[in-house]
Amino acid sequence: MTNKSLSFHLLCKALVKIIIFTVIFSVCFTITQAKNISAQDLKTRISLRVVNMPVKDVLRQINKETKISFVFSNSIVTNQEVSLDVKNEQLGLVLKKIFEPLGMDYSISGNVILIDKKVTTPTEITSQKVAPIKVSGKVIDNAGAALIGVSVKIKGSSSGTVTDVDGHYALTVPDENATLIFSYMGFVTQEVAIGGRPVVNVQLVENRNSLNEVVVTALGISRQKKALAYSVTEVKGEEFTQARENNVANALTGKVAGVNATGLSTGPGGSSRVIIRGNGSLSGGNQPLYVVNGMPIDNSVPGGSATTNGSAGNVDRGDGIAGINPDDIESISVLKGGTAAALYGARAANGVILITTKKGRIQKGIGIDYNSTFTMETPAVFPDWQYEYGQGDGGVKPTTQAEAIQTGRRSFGAKIDGSTYVAADGLEHPYSAQRNNIKNFYRTGSTFTNTVAFTGGTEAITYRFSVADLNSKSVLPNSDYDRKTGNLNVSGKLGKKVSFEALAQYNIERAKNRATAGDALGNPNWTPYMIANTADITWLKPGYDAKGNEIGWNDASIASNSYFVVNKFQQRDTKNRFIGQAGVTYEFIKNLSLKGVVSRDFYYYNYNYILPTGTLYVPNGQYNELKVDASETNGLLTLNYNGKIKDFGISAFVGGNQQRSVYNESNITGANYIIPYFYSSTNLSTVSTTPKNNQTAINSLMGSADISYKNFAYLTVTGRQDWFSTLSPQNNSIFYPSVGGSFVLSEAFKLPQAVSYAKIRASWAQVGGGAPDPYQIHQAFTMLPTSGQPIQNVSSTTISNANLRPYTSTTTEAGIEARFLNNRLGFDITLYNRKTTDDIVSTAITGTSGYNNVILNVGELSNKGIEALVNGTPIKTKDFTWSTSYNIAYNKNEVVKLAAGLDQIQVSQSVNGWAYINNIVGQPYGSIVGTRMMKDANGNVVFNATTGLPVATGLQTLGNGVAPLTMGFSNDFKYKRFSLNVLVDGKFGNKIFSLMEVYGTRLGLMKTTLPGRENGLQLTGVDQSGNPYSRVVPISGLRSYYDNYKSYSELFLHDAGFVKLRQVILSYSIPVEKLKAVNLQGASIAFVARNLLTIYKQTDNFDPESSFTNGSSQGFESFGLPRTRSFGLNLTVKF
Amino acid sequence: MKKNFRKYSILILTVCMGLQACDKGFEEMNTNPNASATPTPAFVFTKALLDGSGDVLNLLQGTMQYTTSYNDVAGFGAKYILSQSQQSWTVFNNAYPKEINEIQQVIGQVSGSPDQVNLLSCARIWRIYCFSRVTDLYGDVPYSQAGKGFESANYKPVYDPQQAIYADMLKELDEAAAAIDPTKANFGAADLIYNGDMAKWKKFSYSLMLRLAMRMTKADIALAETWAKKAIAGGVITVDADVAKVSGYVSAGQDINKNPLALAMLNSDYIGANGSSNPEGGKFQDVFINYLKTNKDPRLGVLSVVWVGGKADTTAATQKGMSSSLSSKPANFVTYSEPNPATILQLNSPYLLLTNAETSFLLAEAALRGWYSGASASASYVNGISASMRQWSLFGAGGTISDNQIQTYIKYHSLNTAGTFASQMEQIYTQFWVGVYPNSQEVFASYRRTGYPALVPNNYVGNATGGKIFRRFLYPATEQNLNGENYQATIARQGPDEFLTRMWWDRP
Repeated sequence: MTNKSLSFHLLCKALVKIIIFTVIFSVCFTITQAKNISAQDLKTRISLRVVNMPVKDVLRQINKETKISFVFSNSIVTNQEVSLDVKNEQLGLVLKKIFEPLGMDYSISGNVILIDKKVTTPTEITSQKVAPIKVSGKVIDNAGAALIGVSVKIKGSSSGTVTDVDGHYALTVPDENATLIFSYMGFVTQEVAIGGRPVVNVQLVENRNSLNEVVVTALGISRQKKALAYSVTEVKGEEFTQARENNVANALTGKVAGVNATGLSTGPGGSSRVIIRGNGSLSGGNQPLYVVNGMPIDNSVPGGSATTNGSAGNVDRGDGIAGINPDDIESISVLKGGTAAALYGARAANGVILITTKKGRIQKGIGIDYNSTFTMETPAVFPDWQYEYGQGDGGVKPTTQAEAIQTGRRSFGAKIDGSTYVAADGLEHPYSAQRNNIKNFYRTGSTFTNTVAFTGGTEAITYRFSVADLNSKSVLPNSDYDRKTGNLNVSGKLGKKVSFEALAQYNIERAKNRATAGDALGNPNWTPYMIANTADITWLKPGYDAKGNEIGWNDASIASNSYFVVNKFQQRDTKNRFIGQAGVTYEFIKNLSLKGVVSRDFYYYNYNYILPTGTLYVPNGQYNELKVDASETNGLLTLNYNGKIKDFGISAFVGGNQQRSVYNESNITGANYIIPYFYSSTNLSTVSTTPKNNQTAINSLMGSADISYKNFAYLTVTGRQDWFSTLSPQNNSIFYPSVGGSFVLSEAFKLPQAVSYAKIRASWAQVGGGAPDPYQIHQAFTMLPTSGQPIQNVSSTTISNANLRPYTSTTTEAGIEARFLNNRLGFDITLYNRKTTDDIVSTAITGTSGYNNVILNVGELSNKGIEALVNGTPIKTKDFTWSTSYNIAYNKNEVVKLAAGLDQIQVSQSVNGWAYINNIVGQPYGSIVGTRMMKDANGNVVFNATTGLPVATGLQTLGNGVAPLTMGFSNDFKYKRFSLNVLVDGKFGNKIFSLMEVYGTRLGLMKTTLPGRENGLQLTGVDQSGNPYSRVVPISGLRSYYDNYKSYSELFLHDAGFVKLRQVILSYSIPVEKLKAVNLQGASIAFVARNLLTIYKQTDNFDPESSFTNGSSQGFESFGLPRTRSFGLNLTVKF
Repeated sequence: MKKNFRKYSILILTVCMGLQACDKGFEEMNTNPNASATPTPAFVFTKALLDGSGDVLNLLQGTMQYTTSYNDVAGFGAKYILSQSQQSWTVFNNAYPKEINEIQQVIGQVSGSPDQVNLLSCARIWRIYCFSRVTDLYGDVPYSQAGKGFESANYKPVYDPQQAIYADMLKELDEAAAAIDPTKANFGAADLIYNGDMAKWKKFSYSLMLRLAMRMTKADIALAETWAKKAIAGGVITVDADVAKVSGYVSAGQDINKNPLALAMLNSDYIGANGSSNPEGGKFQDVFINYLKTNKDPRLGVLSVVWVGGKADTTAATQKGMSSSLSSKPANFVTYSEPNPATILQLNSPYLLLTNAETSFLLAEAALRGWYSGASASASYVNGISASMRQWSLFGAGGTISDNQIQTYIKYHSLNTAGTFASQMEQIYTQFWVGVYPNSQEVFASYRRTGYPALVPNNYVGNATGGKIFRRFLYPATEQNLNGENYQATIARQGPDEFLTRMWWDRP
């Protein structure tokens, strides 16, 4: 058999598997309510066969088929059932057949068909004596947008009307005391007494708790929430547009149970780290897959994530999700469970974040939305250094400039007494505490965001176009970030059977001088934290001399002068990004359609890093240039069937997907500018270019079937077969199924009145995945840049592995959801168990093997957890509403096993190896490993008699870097036109190792270095033989003694738990009706604030959320930007 | 419906064929376009030579009291400051994934082919050179199972006892030298040491054997004698033309093609070429400069300069070394001596591996012990001094020392053959200290073995050794993490992982 026919054979096998699968569990259908309302010809021919189906469902089905909307009152159309069998009949006739037996009739009113009781004898209402009056008005939604087709009824009567395309209505009521009933699908029905007013404007409130809540699920399919077998949380777009985060993923913090979102301390334009239900992979990416309108987008960080040990140029260059403008987001669904993810395949093993963007709508004229936010931010967390003993060494303050430079970062001097001393600038200054170096160095940051969106459309085509500009100034001087976004969404119909939808987004992201983290070299955050405590950082301004060379401020040239870094280092990057999608649906026959979608996310990235001439630690400078072009392309073709057989609804599809990722990088590094102060890659005495060309692909076949029984039982079955280009041909494919069901108790049985809704659900799903990176299966050899004989070495210090096979992630979950007291109180609890087996891990091994890593299918990782959501509306009166929501999630993670003979693998290490992150069998993912000060059984410190220093233990597990417990508490208060949102969130149970405190100790800033400053430090303990040991460390030896504390990692480890007041939004909805001059549909103004207050933390000197990378090194603080609080104003206007 | 389903299943199937079979082209896609599947032995060999020469260990220059710095970080070598102990991890961390892995790749490629026996011998000799440098710094290290991560999936190699490592290294050198066949192919230009001259490789192998044999005088004198005699019989380097050195370095271009020692010193301190802006605070140490000055050594001006008015001054009287006890930048920092940019800092100068000077001093000791009769101890001693003075001419015109200067120096520095064995050893190994500079690692080894030169240790505040010169380097802490069991077994055998623990050949 040739290769080709062999793979074809495999293909057929997989396909047969999927088809059988689909047939067994049969094909399915769920109702998707289209809100599009338009006048239609009653002569449209339809076919319908239903038995004892509720009228409402029949109407929904007709709506689904014909897109004709019906309006009715729930008091008229209740739970009547009909049976019908018509083929290719005119709609008008069909409707007659349905409604005549029920004593109802229909009429065309504006764009909709109105269902009402049959008017029998008009003369019966002649008894009215009062004069009828005319009433008109406008109906809008929460956001101020006009609602089209709202049913407006007169209470106690059968007459009424519907709103037109501008949301207007007009009708005649019998008398001035009449009451109008406004009802609209998905909104709470409102009764309004006219009270003699000729104009009655109404704002309808969306009914989020409605039984028919529809959420967007995998592949962009909208489904009723009650039909879902897994936990899904949807967050509406408007929750991101007032109090903003530049990176929308950071705004998920605290909003969704089981989602651990962390913003990094890397400034505007930085990345996010989002972990759903714990880390599922030992070394790979643990972040979810981001999907926009059903198609995956790229979330890579150009040039890779920042590392713990990196030096200058080790920056967070921002991830893919950072390019999405919150104003373009209609909603975000977080698919946590495996069943949800199963259709997206491998990369969805860590969950999926589905973003649905806003679309156009049918309306008269053009709708314009304008949103503007201006916020300012300032550092909010300051180190609690000691201010008793000032700059100097050995208890002596500096008296000359040379001594001051020598001790520029040492606070082991004399007692602070306000006398004079000579500082590093050579001038005399008072020897007084300088507590404001953080405030003095950083500036007030600001972010100004403006978005204008235009929407409109007709029957045939709808569109939305938005342009946005985000301009952010970091708190770090001379560092800023700018993002421009243009987003166009067009959808429409090309004739009767063909419809299309297309999306195009173009971004230009520019950043200047992103902050580095990690070690001191070129890190602008180093000086403000580490400068001696009696020196004012502004004395170091501007950090360079007349020639432009760095002015030293301390004994180590690698501890750069931060002013020199912000003024003379140059970092610029630009990302041009295009996201395009186009989809066409062709409906062959009723219920059967073929849909094809193509999407491409492409970016071109250019990064320049200039370490200038005159830098103390590299006097002749360095240069780095990174050019990246990366793309992810997906093609998806599905054949969809929707149908209903008696009580069974069926919806199913089979399809195929092709995914291609390309990552091309050209990395130019060089050193020594030949002409000083001239910065170009042409001016380097040493320069080399390293190319990287990565290509990966995943081909997939898949199928899914959803079956519903009546309105209460639902079953979903999926199957998918993937082929991975990154694995060996003999091991490159895996099939994985999922099955899930839900049962709506409240619809199946008659439950007590207090229970408004109750549902149980369960699912089991597998997801398979391949190796994320290419070229890992065969050893290869690379030619290196040389100025002499040709040289070559092994391409990678990671051992390749030809036997790599796909890994599997299996999730079992069960949940219960219920709402009580007319939806005033509700809860949702989920239990899950997620297990990753055969995980593909790049494992650190001893260099003595000749390599530093090996890629293996090792181990097993388990995540078990519980998520709970409680929400309620404790107070609900005419003017005042208080609704609240609390979510909490606990995830127990355990590394179950690793490769034979391995009991732990090293993930990363801190600067100088003072602490490590390891994955250890029996421990949760991400153990922080380090040393302790050795103590004997009686708790005495054990000293090494030779060195006179405490003995350090070997490496031990000190704690865990990932929080197992997360929670969020959100409260919304509404009083008339005011609303107040308060979000509090917290994380608990994790630890953090602080590099800043290591240096703070070595340099005498920590309060723990105070003992002994007056008379020397008395040490007592035992020596290594157990004999009593004591000595006095003289004042002159204190620095060296405390410096050695870095040998005991435990001293710098803290509980990283916290509770924060994350967000406050106070908003006022402007009564636009009164502003006659401008034709406003709605407007609101809000005071917004993020990260306002830390209510609880255990770290004295830094923010416990101080990660500087979205890589796997979680649990290290390492001189990132200070945590900031931001506050500002938001204005939303709709025309 | 069933009919439709079949119809559309066929459609989907057709679509899938549009995917052109579900993994077509994947193998090609998963092949790195920037790498080749097989190595070219000559290219990898060159890389191994450059990498194996690259671990220059500037810090040992401080320990052997040639250089120092007022800065604690850069001053670690001269001050043994505990807080900088991790600097001693570097060779262990670098050598295995680079030169050792590379040279074993070469051995794997050229083994088993009689035509390539010379290539194999060169690779075997270079492998021993690289390993000997590692074990001489750390003691017991992974050897027999090292570098086999890919080949045999050994991710946790055992640490072999140094005694066993020495036995195997000597055997390897013996076999590799014996296997050399000048009629067969050689590495040619890829051989940066001898450009394919196999007779010289033979001498390099026996000279390396002599070096290792003499290393064992404290541990096993009989074995030392056996192997020293074998080496001498095989023929060691005795003329300048046979010196083992890596050539082909360039003054501008890729860093890997620059003299690694010169590059490291320039990058850390001397690139500013003004005597004052030295980023790491480096200077020559007073111990070294004073010795050269006292003995009117013509090498002083070759090695050392003082920047006066922006110019490099080589006058002997101007030279002044800096004390290793300083902890802050002295006001007169610019007045101290530092390496001469015209010689030792030349980026295109060769990197010396094993010199005529070194073998001459070793032969002097062998003669003293009665193991060698080809020349007297005194004659070999003088040969060592003069060879060492001559070799500076390899560093350019600035390094030329005239014959006259050499003879004058020798006249006043002959070996006192009437003295005790110890006093003659002191003379030999004090000259060795000056004569094989800048090979500080070799000096560090002979210092530990013989006790000479009689350096006075620096008892700096916060030192890790109680004011003693360290006897070995520390294993990287990651070894506890990544190869814990073997690490613990080694400590149990060799002693605690500390600076003063003595390795096998260093036990008193």
